[in-house]
Amino acid sequence: MGKLKAIIMREYLERVRTKWFVIATLLGPIMFIALTVLPVLFVSRTKAAVTSSNITIIDATGLALADRVITELKDTAGVRPQVSLVSAAEVAAAESLATTAVMAKQREGYLVLDSSTIAGKAARYAGRNTSTLPDMRRISNAVENAVLNMRLEKEGISAARVDSLTKVDIRFEKTQLSEKGREKSGVATSIIGLMMSLLLYMVLLLYGQTVLRSVIEEKSTRVAEVVISSVRPEMLMAGKIIGIGCVAMTQLVVWIGSSAWIGSTLAPMLLKRNAAASARTDLATAAQTTDILSSLPSFSIGFLLAIVLYFVLGYVFYACLYAAVGSTVNSESEAQQAATPVAMLLILSAIFIQPVALAPQSTLSVVMSMLPFSAPIMMPMRMSITSVPPWQVAASLAGTTLACVAAIWFSARIYRVGLLMYGKRPTIGELFKWLKYS
Amino acid sequence: MTDLAIDIRGVTKRYAEHVAVRDLSLQVPRGAVYGLLGPNGAGKTSTIRMILDIIAPDQGTITLFGQKHTDTGVLDRVGYLPEERGLYKKMKVREVLKFLAQLKGLPAATADVRIDAWMERMSLKTADKDWGNSKVDELSRGMQQKVQFIGTLLHDPELVILDEPFSGLDPVNAQALKDTIVELKTRGRTVIFSTHIMDNAEKLCDSVCIIAKGQKVLDGSVSDVKAANAGNTVAVAFDGAPGTAVEAILRDTSLVAHVDGQNRILELELAQGASSGVLLQRLVAAGASLQRFERVQPSLHRIFLEKVGATGVEAGMSGHG
Repeated sequence: MGKLKAIIMREYLERVRTKWFVIATLLGPIMFIALTVLPVLFVSRTKAAVTSSNITIIDATGLALADRVITELKDTAGVRPQVSLVSAAEVAAAESLATTAVMAKQREGYLVLDSSTIAGKAARYAGRNTSTLPDMRRISNAVENAVLNMRLEKEGISAARVDSLTKVDIRFEKTQLSEKGREKSGVATSIIGLMMSLLLYMVLLLYGQTVLRSVIEEKSTRVAEVVISSVRPEMLMAGKIIGIGCVAMTQLVVWIGSSAWIGSTLAPMLLKRNAAASARTDLATAAQTTDILSSLPSFSIGFLLAIVLYFVLGYVFYACLYAAVGSTVNSESEAQQAATPVAMLLILSAIFIQPVALAPQSTLSVVMSMLPFSAPIMMPMRMSITSVPPWQVAASLAGTTLACVAAIWFSARIYRVGLLMYGKRPTIGELFKWLKYS
Repeated sequence: MTDLAIDIRGVTKRYAEHVAVRDLSLQVPRGAVYGLLGPNGAGKTSTIRMILDIIAPDQGTITLFGQKHTDTGVLDRVGYLPEERGLYKKMKVREVLKFLAQLKGLPAATADVRIDAWMERMSLKTADKDWGNSKVDELSRGMQQKVQFIGTLLHDPELVILDEPFSGLDPVNAQALKDTIVELKTRGRTVIFSTHIMDNAEKLCDSVCIIAKGQKVLDGSVSDVKAANAGNTVAVAFDGAPGTAVEAILRDTSLVAHVDGQNRILELELAQGASSGVLLQRLVAAGASLQRFERVQPSLHRIFLEKVGATGVEAGMSGHG
């Protein structure tokens, strides 16, 4: 056992110590932040700037509408608009004065309120920030609310009542229904299911090929012969697959762990801070992101166990096949060609990720989550999106396990013979002969 | 407890198209330096791989130190240097050596101490530079060969198996290897190596086995082998160039079967039934001015060529390296 441990440790440490591994492992959470938290932060960037209060309001309404607008702007930073009360005839003169102030960069712009504003038709704004949508939305909202409040008060409703009546902020909660009743999912979980199956696919492909390269390295540098003069080839292969599997596990744990932390702690914290400061319209966007994030940790232990199981089975299956391929070739360039059938199995699974995610209960989805080569990618995704009958999970696990045992048996035989064979690549017929060698 | 380090009996290894080793039996006593000689493709590497349980024989048994070679722990007592050398290129030298030692069941702490001692001995670790912390591919080829050699001996094996150890070595390293083999012998270790360099085999080996086309041609102690093949070879040297009369005698096939010229000294193989006395008389009668006329034991090289035959030797291969 000490020897197997030595092989596992060598495979593990030699890989974990590489720069490539460290970078890729750190890049995972960074990507996750980029995909989830950044859009949220982006929302906060689209908030109206404080300087958008630094304007001149030319009020020709004679009804002190400007004061109501200032109230609606709800300034916190203490930047107050300058109000210039004028008569309708004086508007032109006031505007040219305000224009000078804007050009001198004393003000951002100026707002003109007149009788058509009171009529609920028009207000004019001129300034340097007219192309900044949040600023404009903020000012136009303020004007609209001011006019609305004024009208309501005219009807005899108090300002406090107006406030409580107009404050409507509904959080829209969605639950998907199907022929089986309530489904636990929504858009959010299916996105997570999709992301997870893509992640599994990536890791299987990446680490399957790591096994391939590792076998070729040992074979082409001839170090394999030294090693198998001390241990059985089967032990070398097992140690290699376990060692590299541990590397993959380490990476997955870091990725998923940090993503879960970002999703459950960091992101909501940012969102909360954000929500407090942002305007009502931004809240909807933020809430959507919270939706996705908050559904992350809601998976059951059984489901997490299933993911781990499928990952291990899928990894062993593909790693064995890649090890067998690696032992039959002499160089990496040869390997790319020889490994195509194995890669095709993986790619075939990846092609169907989207159709399965969109229709997780279709016949195609059921079949893809049953076939041993695609089950490790498809079944966890289906399980996260929809409720899969237990018999399907059991059957798919049993099938995948059987396929794994077959892959181990097959690969161990090919590997043992192939490792010492140099020169011409074996034909399919020769491979079958290898299987029969004692 | 047996006094045989290796006992191979009736071993046969077949591949799809050919038989690599046919009914081979050989015994290597403990403490001996044993040479496995044969032309390329004779089955030396296959034999060695079977001893190490890298490949399985189709027939026959292999016993190491009186135990089946597949028994647990037996191969931990064997050190192996394959013909095709190789190390993990991206690993640090020290890590590679520690790994190889661990594969032989040596604890990491013990390995560390021994690695230091070996590195210093092989001048891979000096006051200026410790190559142990360098990656393998930063080392020159000669240094890599030293590292590989250390890896073979790190666990202090009782039996050391070297497949073509002299190939690719410069004269300095070749001499260092010879010295190490002698030292292993004095420490009671058993060394078996394959080679087609007969000079080295003759100088180093107690016993040899010559195989060709997968079959044993002869085996035994070097002195026995030479004695058994002595008696029909004469070394002759002349003062100046031999005359035409002398050359005619040398070409007389009833007297001389084969002439092997090396510089000024000719090794003559007498024809069947011819005697060295008759040859000497004829040469003197022909007026040859002899500097040397001596019945000699044939070199292993000579015996090898005789037994294996020129047909068993691939073109371009020389017994002298």
